[in-house]
Amino acid sequence: MDDIKVGLTPKQRAGNLLGSFGLIAILLIIFGFFSLLIPKLYFTWPNLRDMIRFSSYVGIGAIGMTFCIMTGNFDISVGSMLALAGVLGASVALKAGGIFGVIITMAAATLLGVINGLFVTKLKIPAFITTLGMYFIFRALAYIYTNNNPQYIQDRFWIFLGNGSFLGIPLPIYIMALCYVIAYLMLRKAPFGRYILAIGTNSRAAALSGINVDNIKILVFTLIGVFVGVSAVLNGSMLGAANPGMMGDGYEFQVITAVVLGGTALTGGSGSLGGTLIAAMVIVFLKTGMSNAQVNSYWQQVATGLVLIVAVSLNKLKFWLIGQTQ
Amino acid sequence: MIKFLKLYEKIGIFILIVAASVFLAIVSPNFRNLNTILSIIMQGSYGAIIAFGMTFAITSGGFDLSVEAIMGFTSVIIAMLIPSLGFAGSIIIAILASCFVGFLNGVLITKVGISPLITTLSMQVILRGASLIITNGRQVVISQKSFMSIGASKVFNLIPTPIIYMVVLFAIFYLILNQTSFGRHVAASGSNEQAAKMSGLNVNLIKTVVYILVAFSASIVGVIRTSQTLIGIPTMAPGFTLNVLTIAILGGTSLAGGKGNLTGTLFAGIFISMIYYGLNLLNVQIFYQMLAVGITLLFALFIDGLRMKYLETAKVKGIRV
Amino acid sequence: MKRYLRISVFAILILALVVTFAIAGCKTGTATAKGTTAKTMKAADVTIGYSVWTMEFTFFQNLEKGVKDACKAFGFKYSMLDQKSDATQMVQDMNTLVNQKVSGIVSTPVDPGAMAPAVQKARDAGIPVVCADIGKSGPVNALIISNNFNGGQLAAEFLAKLYPDKSTTFGLGNLKPQWTYARQRGEGFKAKCDELGYTVKSEIIVQNPSAEGGYDTMQQIMSAASDIKGAFFTSGREAVGAANYIKSQNGEQKVVGYNGDPEEFNAIKDGILAATVLQQPYVIGYKAVETLKEILVDGKSYENVEIPAEVKLVTPENLEQVAKEIMDSTGNSAYGAPATTTTTK
Repeated sequence: MDDIKVGLTPKQRAGNLLGSFGLIAILLIIFGFFSLLIPKLYFTWPNLRDMIRFSSYVGIGAIGMTFCIMTGNFDISVGSMLALAGVLGASVALKAGGIFGVIITMAAATLLGVINGLFVTKLKIPAFITTLGMYFIFRALAYIYTNNNPQYIQDRFWIFLGNGSFLGIPLPIYIMALCYVIAYLMLRKAPFGRYILAIGTNSRAAALSGINVDNIKILVFTLIGVFVGVSAVLNGSMLGAANPGMMGDGYEFQVITAVVLGGTALTGGSGSLGGTLIAAMVIVFLKTGMSNAQVNSYWQQVATGLVLIVAVSLNKLKFWLIGQTQ
Repeated sequence: MIKFLKLYEKIGIFILIVAASVFLAIVSPNFRNLNTILSIIMQGSYGAIIAFGMTFAITSGGFDLSVEAIMGFTSVIIAMLIPSLGFAGSIIIAILASCFVGFLNGVLITKVGISPLITTLSMQVILRGASLIITNGRQVVISQKSFMSIGASKVFNLIPTPIIYMVVLFAIFYLILNQTSFGRHVAASGSNEQAAKMSGLNVNLIKTVVYILVAFSASIVGVIRTSQTLIGIPTMAPGFTLNVLTIAILGGTSLAGGKGNLTGTLFAGIFISMIYYGLNLLNVQIFYQMLAVGITLLFALFIDGLRMKYLETAKVKGIRV
Repeated sequence: MKRYLRISVFAILILALVVTFAIAGCKTGTATAKGTTAKTMKAADVTIGYSVWTMEFTFFQNLEKGVKDACKAFGFKYSMLDQKSDATQMVQDMNTLVNQKVSGIVSTPVDPGAMAPAVQKARDAGIPVVCADIGKSGPVNALIISNNFNGGQLAAEFLAKLYPDKSTTFGLGNLKPQWTYARQRGEGFKAKCDELGYTVKSEIIVQNPSAEGGYDTMQQIMSAASDIKGAFFTSGREAVGAANYIKSQNGEQKVVGYNGDPEEFNAIKDGILAATVLQQPYVIGYKAVETLKEILVDGKSYENVEIPAEVKLVTPENLEQVAKEIMDSTGNSAYGAPATTTTTK
């Protein structure tokens, strides 16, 4: 399809260009703008490095969500999942050491993802409702398990994962890159990618063509768990604690925002992992820029909302230019 | 059986309420008291009123995440304008301003084509910021004490006014959804937008009106709560939106769109209030309250799924449903 | 095709940026390593970075004002970041301030337990960290904090004085569980009630941390224990909401608040709220910068020091005087020392 370039109107060409580079352009504009405005604070390697490092928090969690939204589903439980996995792992780390803590965090998040998947497919409760219920339940369990005491993470290995660096580049950036490469290969090179897009486009047709829809859905929710687990490990490491009430608070909407801003349609059937990654960075770059420029924090909220609307409108403009409906 | 299942669809949540009431009345004497019962309904009314609007939005195939910010927005506008415009003027302007926000939501969703999620999520952040800018981050104290009577007085010295508002709004919304062509059109645009467009409905206009209705219901609650506390609160009700969504979904309105159940929403609002209120009175820790809400939600929707499955098999077997 | 083009363009851009910065970073990286030895600075060279919990609450706005005014008084430059009640943002802000190479950091942390690695980073870069209220973790130089436990005790003593009869019962509207530090206020209240022989008959958490949430909680407390004579709410906005509920029911119960926000002062003046425990956010913020000044300019050493900040009871009797004191020391007109009940702006 990519090779059929002949016969495109200039309008369609513009649309294609916008689709390819729209979000990257927004990222560069934001970066360029603040670099010119406050070069000493913003246009520095440590600042760029840390902005990308902190993008990993939303960026990694958003990988699983991208898959999920591509199938036309939703997961609102990720924030609570992050907290529950985090406190479980941190409490184990206190007794058995950091490596076990990390493993337990990952395992717990994966298991919670599996549970979500089973509820959605076997009990036939819609994903939105399952995960809305789990949003309350996971958080409640995190409180109950810890009796509302923050679990401190002091293990050197675990702390190193989120704060250490290799060749001058922080570890979370490597981990995020690795996650994206794996996810990209799954989406584009394995049958799994075709299946989830087929399910997102038309679940019934996908089932008729022989795809085991339930299993793929369970796998998608499991993957959300896996990536949220990675995010929980890094977040716990950067924070040095897992607080049942604070960890992952508001995470679900941050993640969903990044996915949608990245160009994945909420209706399912299409999407872009690269878009998600850049979107996660756009949000952090914008927030850090405004904070560094000492923008009044109420105006920051207004500006964030406006940028979101404008960025998503650009995506719509693309479709309009190419001349296809969403 | 079929008859029962049909009935269950309408009043399923009511069964939960009865069960919870019996339980609470047995364990605690506090619940065998008319004042407590009215208080529970009163605290349920805030969520329920907004959930009426939310039910419309979900029926039309979307939802609105900006409601908590609209409450705060209403609140600060009233507080800022009351000294110069008096009660009626400030309330009317605040409600109109909120409806305008709903209109903006609707235009962004229908004309620009941004998904309801991103539109209303952005609107929530923008409006929260705007409310804080208006008051310079402060809470604005309202000095006209008699303003309190709007949301904090009792009719016949017994029934709190918010309950009255809830009942009146329920009647209005119920009539709109079930007795007018507009209501049918909302459901039609929600169940199959393409077909609705083909049959000549102005789906864009219908959806815009729906978002205005959501904003309207949220601003009504904003007025009530401002009147009760006599403070213009820019950051009113943080996190309330998810509560409202929970109520609408628990009430049996399908997220797929096309099917709104306002009666269910009304009872779900009261039921959620019962959980929080009731467990608070029993000194149950807040964590277990969250757990209860989550489990109820899953349980109710699981049962609902079973019901639909049964009806479907019945249909296949040729029984008239 | 198109996709690979897109990916490669982006990769090249990122690579180019990284290389540029790596080259530039090598030079600056070695420069900062030397600066860790303790030496004094001139006031004009000092920049204070402040990371605030949120600018949405009056309490933190007053705290920020204290920090800002202190910086102005000492001739420091000032930079403020808003955590927006998000623990991850808090850590990120601390990193941003380190990258800005500020001379000292003041933080009012939303999650005091979750700042240890970030504080360590700042200290490794030679930047002292002082926490203004809430709490701390990691190698913080100093923490200036209100005595929350004592504040709760003051509230209990006030109610006990009003009702000498020991059979009187009280209610308690407590804060959400994640704010462990502030729940000390409730603990203090309960301990003092116990000690004096009174009972706290109903304790309910304010689910919705806002004035209307206090209203709801008071309604619940009255259902749970309709015979209470007074209630303590551990945060100011909630207390005003709770007091307004009592007023709407024409009840006799006395409500005591905590914080000393302007809206509480207004409510006390109107006879709606019985009293409040005044924290001094402005003073806490000011003291935090003062401590940093002693470290940076005077070369004093602070390690893990806890500096308590005074709390005091505000009642209708001393209201005017306290408001005037606040007005004089902070210039904050919101407290409305001259008898005006107009809106605050």
